[in-house]
Amino acid sequence: MALAARLSLFSGTATSTTRQTDWIRLFASVPSNLRDEAITEATEFRTLSLNPARKERRKFEERSNRTPDLLPPRSQKMHVDQDWTNVWPTATSFKPSVVPLPVRMGFAYKGANPDKYGNAELMKIPNFLHLTPAAIKKHCAALKKFCTPWPEEIADDAACDRYFPAQVITSTYCHSGTSIRNSKYRIVSYKVPLSRLNLDSHARDKFLRLLGDRYDRHTDQITIITDRCPTRKQNYEYAKYLLTALFHESKKTEPWEHEKAVADFERFKWEGSPSEAAATNTVKEILTSSTASNEPTSEDISPEEVKQFEEVQEYQRAVSDMLNAGEHQDSVERYKDAVKTMLRLGRFS
Amino acid sequence: MFRSFARLSSIDALTATGSWNSVRHTSPGIASRSFHTSPATFRVQAGKYKPTQYKTKALTYEQANYPHTIGIRKSWNAWNTSNLLESNTRDQAYEQTIWDTFIRKFIYGTWHNMFVSEIIIKRRHNMIHVAGVVQQTVPVRKMYFLIGYTEEFLGYLLKSPVKMEIQSVPDKKDMIFTYI
Repeated sequence: MALAARLSLFSGTATSTTRQTDWIRLFASVPSNLRDEAITEATEFRTLSLNPARKERRKFEERSNRTPDLLPPRSQKMHVDQDWTNVWPTATSFKPSVVPLPVRMGFAYKGANPDKYGNAELMKIPNFLHLTPAAIKKHCAALKKFCTPWPEEIADDAACDRYFPAQVITSTYCHSGTSIRNSKYRIVSYKVPLSRLNLDSHARDKFLRLLGDRYDRHTDQITIITDRCPTRKQNYEYAKYLLTALFHESKKTEPWEHEKAVADFERFKWEGSPSEAAATNTVKEILTSSTASNEPTSEDISPEEVKQFEEVQEYQRAVSDMLNAGEHQDSVERYKDAVKTMLRLGRFS
Repeated sequence: MFRSFARLSSIDALTATGSWNSVRHTSPGIASRSFHTSPATFRVQAGKYKPTQYKTKALTYEQANYPHTIGIRKSWNAWNTSNLLESNTRDQAYEQTIWDTFIRKFIYGTWHNMFVSEIIIKRRHNMIHVAGVVQQTVPVRKMYFLIGYTEEFLGYLLKSPVKMEIQSVPDKKDMIFTYI
């Protein structure tokens, strides 16, 4: 009874105070009559029976993995005329319960290849189940309202080049990573044909000198690549600025440019060359010496007419070709033939 | 041949030897200056499993195929562009590998005893897709919680959106491909 009294005392204090004696537990060593009494007095205490009655002992149950009640795979309930784009709208890993196809993947020495259930290989590879023809049709239909009809004037590439001579080439990069930025996206290539700039020979020459190796004479394309600015827009504007500056700079004629002598020419120029004067004089001399009395005299033939003779023209081409393209077997042969033709007397009448 | 050199002259052996075998030096003065070499074992063991006597060890498809069959019979567990030429993540290859290891460890701890396949990590753009096969040991509700938990935490840690794409099997025995 003393224990019961003490217990009731404890429980009384526990309820009246702030439950500081919550750690007190009743043990099985307490007689059962007292135990019941104590439980009725302090119901928040649970008993720990270290040695329970045989009846109360439960058989040890081995923990088992209980399979939860799961629905059967979706693929078994699918209609044949369903909209697949709603089933698989975006790119995702393979799910066997969703794909109603008997897909198999893997290698087996004996027996069939592994099927789709629990097949990690199928999950690894990228699939295109979101890019079915139906899905692409839907994409196109959704994008169509943003499109305008193609202009009829630009029927082919030649027309496109005629109306839009300038070409701006940039690249966009797609990679996996934490950042979607790529430092190479800023590079801008600006291409335009030189012939579309309408330059005269002096400006063209100066333009090409300023361009350096940025001109491709086979395709007649100027290529300006800019990558020094941090963004694409800035580089594009810088490329346009460069082209404008080059254009206007090449149109200027500096005072010292008139000092250019024949020796400074980068190419042989027939007009006004000593070769032209010599050839004209020689032909005129030949004409003078070979003119018959009944034929017009050489005084009647002007140097301009002499230059228009077929033989003189051929000589001009041969000399220009040999001096500009270099001496080789063909050019030297051509030069020899031209000289022989030109010096053949009596042909100029 | 090198051993006979070593017997003849230690100095010759030091200069002439190119062998993996250690060189025994007789002169104490030379020995103190020499470096120790040991033969290479060339024992390649990673990803290979030892067969048992009665073929009782169960292997998944992934385990049953040797590492040198990657790209032939089985594919990679990590898919990203860091190995591609001119990729902007080329200098991040080490970083991505370390983060992949972190993701794997995180998932092994969070989904304890649940993954029955290797963890597949696919990086597309700035997204990370974590795929794999789990066994159905927890109720569906808990599974959904774990998916959301993992996606949230990994998303915060990796500073990029993470998506889990898992499939489940009733028992891990469903993943057994062969016994060795």
